[in-house]
Amino acid sequence: MPIPVPDAKQLVLQTEDWIEYRSGFPTLVRKFLFRKVPPTGWFHTLGSSLLTVFIIQALTGSLLAMSYDPSPNGAYESIRYITDQQTLGWLIRGMHKWGASMMVILLFLHMGRVFFYGAYKYPRELTWLTGSLIFLSTMAMGLTGYLLVWDERAYWASVVAVNINGTAPVLGPFISKFLLAGPVFGAQTISRFYALHMLLIPGLIAGLIFVHLWLVVKLGVTPWPGRPIEHEEAVGD
Amino acid sequence: MGAAIGGIIGVPITAYMLAPVTDEVKFEPVFLGKVDTFPADPSFKPTAATYVEDPNNAATSPGLAFVQNTGKSNTDWLAQDAMFIVFSNRCMHLGCPVAVAQGVGFACPCHGGQYNKEGQRTAGPPIRPLDRFQWEIRNSDELWITQRWSVDFNGDGKVLYFPVKMPGQPVAPPGPSVVADVLYPNVTYDHGAVPQAK
Repeated sequence: MPIPVPDAKQLVLQTEDWIEYRSGFPTLVRKFLFRKVPPTGWFHTLGSSLLTVFIIQALTGSLLAMSYDPSPNGAYESIRYITDQQTLGWLIRGMHKWGASMMVILLFLHMGRVFFYGAYKYPRELTWLTGSLIFLSTMAMGLTGYLLVWDERAYWASVVAVNINGTAPVLGPFISKFLLAGPVFGAQTISRFYALHMLLIPGLIAGLIFVHLWLVVKLGVTPWPGRPIEHEEAVGD
Repeated sequence: MGAAIGGIIGVPITAYMLAPVTDEVKFEPVFLGKVDTFPADPSFKPTAATYVEDPNNAATSPGLAFVQNTGKSNTDWLAQDAMFIVFSNRCMHLGCPVAVAQGVGFACPCHGGQYNKEGQRTAGPPIRPLDRFQWEIRNSDELWITQRWSVDFNGDGKVLYFPVKMPGQPVAPPGPSVVADVLYPNVTYDHGAVPQAK
């Protein structure tokens, strides 16, 4: 008797079962993607746009890191190499640069949507708080990334930014020195900004996004303000 | 147990990150130029002189000083009739480089800070006068700068010197100067004794 050859659909379903039985991931993904939500509009897409831009930033950033030299003597030249000579380097760098601005803009729009919908209220206070931390981290990304271009504008803008931090009483002078990795702008400053920009802060943001999304899924999407909430869509699924 | 493990991992990490916070640098004397390259001028026209504070980090430690030849001849930098006043070009608002406004003083391109011929603020956001460099003549005709000092003026227009603070931080705010020292501790340069103008 010939062994029955499974068709493509069966093969996919069997593989899914195999993974499901051992990890439960397919159910997790299904629960995440196919949730009950109240009627939503374009304003509700700002959060996932942000997530998309963050992923693009992480990807293009990783690519740029392959050719970038975070040293006072090499940084500018490596940026010029990426922009002028590397295949499609101008595009990757452009995506990273414009993506950064886009992320900040989307962040403000998303925050405004949440604020004007009253979506920060009970029981979603923690979602708002983690979002605020993501907001601050994104600002820190903007600050630390600006220096890495290492042209005159980047250098002096960072000098000014560090000195602005220094004007805070008591802690200010210490914050300045922490950012500069010493008392004055030095060789270590750019590598410190680089490490913060491409390792520490993105890691922090990724973790915060995970918590933020967990809360969004757990608590469900906020409907339009003033719209009567039907029972089954009140909290989660 | 958990606290011990956390401490073993956390303390070195924190110390590594925060170590630069307590660092102070020493200003190494730098040769600015021959004395006769800084001529006196009847109008206010200081000569710009570049220098490199740390030759090992030439890309990050270039500086620019403005040397004003006062037309007098005393080589004691603290004297009333000192030959030179050497200004730092670092704006005391937020650290941009100021430029000479000929016959008037200095002006900063970033946020519009303005200073008079003494380096005293006349307009805009800077909170104190321009820093000055201690200088001396070496080998009879070489102008060297040997230390950076933050300055302020007392009521009579006499220069007071202070340990260096970063731009935007007061050296002597209104009231007891202890406030300046507590709120904005001096954490930048490792100095000797603070000099007194004569």
